[in-house]
Amino acid sequence: MTPATLDPALSASKDERRVTRVRPELVTVLSTFALSALLIVASRFVSPALGSWGQAATVVSLSSFLIVAAFGQGLVILVGGLDLSVASLITLSAVLCTTWVGPEAGAAGILLIPAILVVCALIGAVSGLGITVLGIPPFIMTMATGIIVAAGALGYTSGTPRGSAPAPLLALMKGEVAGIPLLLIFTAAFVIAAAVLQQATGFGRRLYAVGASARAAFVAGVPVTRTVVAAYMLSATASGVAGLMLVGYSDGATLRMGDSYLLPTIAAVVVGGSSILGGSGSFVATVGGAVLLTTLGTVIAALGIGQGWRTVIEGSIILIALLLLRENTFARIRSWFPR
Amino acid sequence: MGTWKTGRAGALTTTLTTALMAALVGTAALGGPAAADEKKIKVYLSLSYSGNAWQSEAANVVKALAATPPYDKLVELKEVISGTDPQAQISAYESMIDAGAQGIISFPVSATALNRVVKRGCSKGVKFFMYDATVTEPCAYNVSYVTAGFGENSAQALVNALGGKGKIFLSRGVPGNSVDKRHTDGAMSVFKKYPGIQVVSEYYSFWDDRTTQQETGKALAAHPDVDGIWAQAGEYGAIQALKDKGSKLVPVTGENSNGFRLALMDPAAKQAGLTGVSAGSPPATAGYAFKLMMEVLTAKRKLEPQNIEYPLPWVPADQVKVCKGQKFEDGCNAFPPNVVPNSFVTEVFNPELLPELSLQSALEGKPTPGATIQPLPAEVKRAPDSPGINCQPCKAPADEYKVTKVEVKPAR
Repeated sequence: MTPATLDPALSASKDERRVTRVRPELVTVLSTFALSALLIVASRFVSPALGSWGQAATVVSLSSFLIVAAFGQGLVILVGGLDLSVASLITLSAVLCTTWVGPEAGAAGILLIPAILVVCALIGAVSGLGITVLGIPPFIMTMATGIIVAAGALGYTSGTPRGSAPAPLLALMKGEVAGIPLLLIFTAAFVIAAAVLQQATGFGRRLYAVGASARAAFVAGVPVTRTVVAAYMLSATASGVAGLMLVGYSDGATLRMGDSYLLPTIAAVVVGGSSILGGSGSFVATVGGAVLLTTLGTVIAALGIGQGWRTVIEGSIILIALLLLRENTFARIRSWFPR
Repeated sequence: MGTWKTGRAGALTTTLTTALMAALVGTAALGGPAAADEKKIKVYLSLSYSGNAWQSEAANVVKALAATPPYDKLVELKEVISGTDPQAQISAYESMIDAGAQGIISFPVSATALNRVVKRGCSKGVKFFMYDATVTEPCAYNVSYVTAGFGENSAQALVNALGGKGKIFLSRGVPGNSVDKRHTDGAMSVFKKYPGIQVVSEYYSFWDDRTTQQETGKALAAHPDVDGIWAQAGEYGAIQALKDKGSKLVPVTGENSNGFRLALMDPAAKQAGLTGVSAGSPPATAGYAFKLMMEVLTAKRKLEPQNIEYPLPWVPADQVKVCKGQKFEDGCNAFPPNVVPNSFVTEVFNPELLPELSLQSALEGKPTPGATIQPLPAEVKRAPDSPGINCQPCKAPADEYKVTKVEVKPAR
C-alpha cells in the first residue's frame, strides 16, 4: 500500500512572507556595522594612518567593555527597566579585583574572581527585588543601589584603591593566541553566548514576553518576578565582567572607572534599535550600536578640533543615526517600492 | 590640578553620590551639638570629590597632621566633601561660617565662583587657606604650585628630549578649567618657538589614568608615528596606551604618579625609547597649607592673606629613586609597586616642610607614630600674579612663562 499523497494543487503554497519581508532588526544590525566600516574607511581622509587594521583593533579593544556592559543594560531595558547602577558596579568589581586578588594571586586568588561576580549578581538581585517586590521605579532603585555601592567602594578603599591587575586579566586584555588578540576571541565568544541566551532560549523568550506586557506574560504563566530579577542580576554581573576587563586594560582600579560607561550603555542599546520601553531589540544590534559609537569616538578624536565641537558632532551623529534607524523610517522607505 | 573627572557621559551617578554624601556629611558635621571641648580651634576641611588618589591623599595628609601632637589637642577638624559643583561648595562654606569656623582649608572647585562667600567668611574673621587650586578673592590665602611653571618647564624638557623637532600629543586636563589653561598656555609658549614641533593631536583626559589611556589610544590610531607626549595628570595611562600599541615607546612628560616614575626608571622601557620628566601637582601642598594655617591661628606666625608658591616637584628620568622605607629619605622619590598602586601620587612628602608624614599618613590619614609637629621655615615664597587664577584684575609679569628647570636650546 502506498502512502496517501495529496494533490499538489490542494496543498498550501510555501509561506515566503518571512523571506520577502526584510526584518527591521536585521537592517539595523547591517546598517550599524556598515556605518562603522564606512566610518573607518572614510577616516583615511581625516588622517592617512586611519582606516587600517590598527584602527579596527583599537575600536575592538575600546568597544569590548561597552559591549559587555551594554549586554546587561540591554536585558534590563528589554524587560522594561533601566539600570543606572552600571557605573558603580564596574567600579566595585574593579576595586574588589585589585584588592582581593591583586598581582601576586595564585590559583586560590583567581578563584576569588567568580566570587566578585557573585557579589555583583547579589547586588543586582537587590535592585531586581526592590523593583518587583517593593514596586520601586527601576531608575530610582538602581540609582539608589548605585549610590550605595559607589559610597561603599569609597569607604572600603578610603579613597585610594590599592593593588594592580592579576596576571590572567592582563593576559586576557593584552595576550594573543596564534596572532589573534585574546580579547577579540573573548569578545566574540561573549557575543555569541549572550546572543544565544537572549535570542534562542526559553529564558530569552520570557524576557521578551515580560517586556512586551508583564501582565500578559503573567497570565500566560511566565514567572515575571523571577525573570525580572534575573535580568538585573545578569546586568550587574555583566558590569562586573566589564570592570574586570578594565582592570586588565589599565592595570589598576580607580573609583571613577565606570563613570564614562553608564550613558553609553543605554545609547548603544537604543542606537541598536531596541525600544527604550522594552519588549523588542536584539543583542547583535546592540553590539553594532556599541561598535558604531566607539568608531565614531576614534574618528572624531582624530579630527583635531576643539572639545566643544567634537561633542556637538558626536551628539548630532548619534541623533541622526537614531532617526535613520527607526523602524518606521524603514517602513516609509519600503512603501516607496510597491511590490 | 583639579583632579576630579567630569566625565562627559557618566557623571550623573557620581554627582548624585557626592551630593548625597555632601548632604549627609554636612548635616553630621554641622548640625550636631557643639563639641565637648570648646577650647579647640574649629577647622573645616572642604574638598571636592574624594574619589581619586590625589584628592584623598591631600585630605589624608591634612587629617594626619591634625592628629599629630600637639595639634591633636589643639584642633578640631571636620571634613566636608561637596562634589564638583561650585554651588555645593558655596553652601558648604556658608554652613561652616555659620557653625563658627575659625579656619577653612579647602580645595576650591572654581577660581571665581566662591569669591563672594569667601569674602563674607573673611569679614567674620574666618581664615581661608586654599591648596593646589586657587581663588581670585584677595582675602584668602592661596598655597599652590600652579604658578611654578609646570607647563613651560615640562614642554621645554620634551623639546630637548626630541632635539627640537617631532610630532607630539597634548594630553590635557578638564576643559574650561583655569589650571589646565595655565599649564597648556605655558607649554604652548615653548612649543611655538620651535617650528619643528608639530602638535598633531590634542585631547582632554580629565586628569584620569584610564581616560588618558583611551584618548591616547585613539590618537595613536590616527598618528602611530608620534614622537613624544606632553601630558598633565593621567600620564601613566599614556605609557599604557603606548605599550598597548607595541614595543616602541617615546619621550613622555607628565605628573607625579608612582607608575610613571617606576616606568621612567625601568631599563627595558628606557631601551624602548621612554624618557621624560615627572613634575606637577603635589598633594603635599595641602599639608603645607594646613601647617601655615595652624601657625597663623595659634598666633605663632604673622601672615597677611597672600598668594604663596609651593615649589614645583621636578624629577627627570635619571633621578627617579625607589624608597626603601615609608618616607622620602636620602633623595628617594618613588615607592615599590607592591606598596602603592600605580595611580598613587608620590609627591605627598617634603622632608623639609613636612617631616611628620609617612606613607601611612597619605594612605590612611593616620599620624606617624612618635612624630610631633615641626615648625615651618619663617620664609614663605610669594607667588607671582596670574590673572584669573590667583588675582583679578591684575597683570601677569613679563616673564610669566620663563623656563627655570632646564636649559632652553635655540630653535634650529
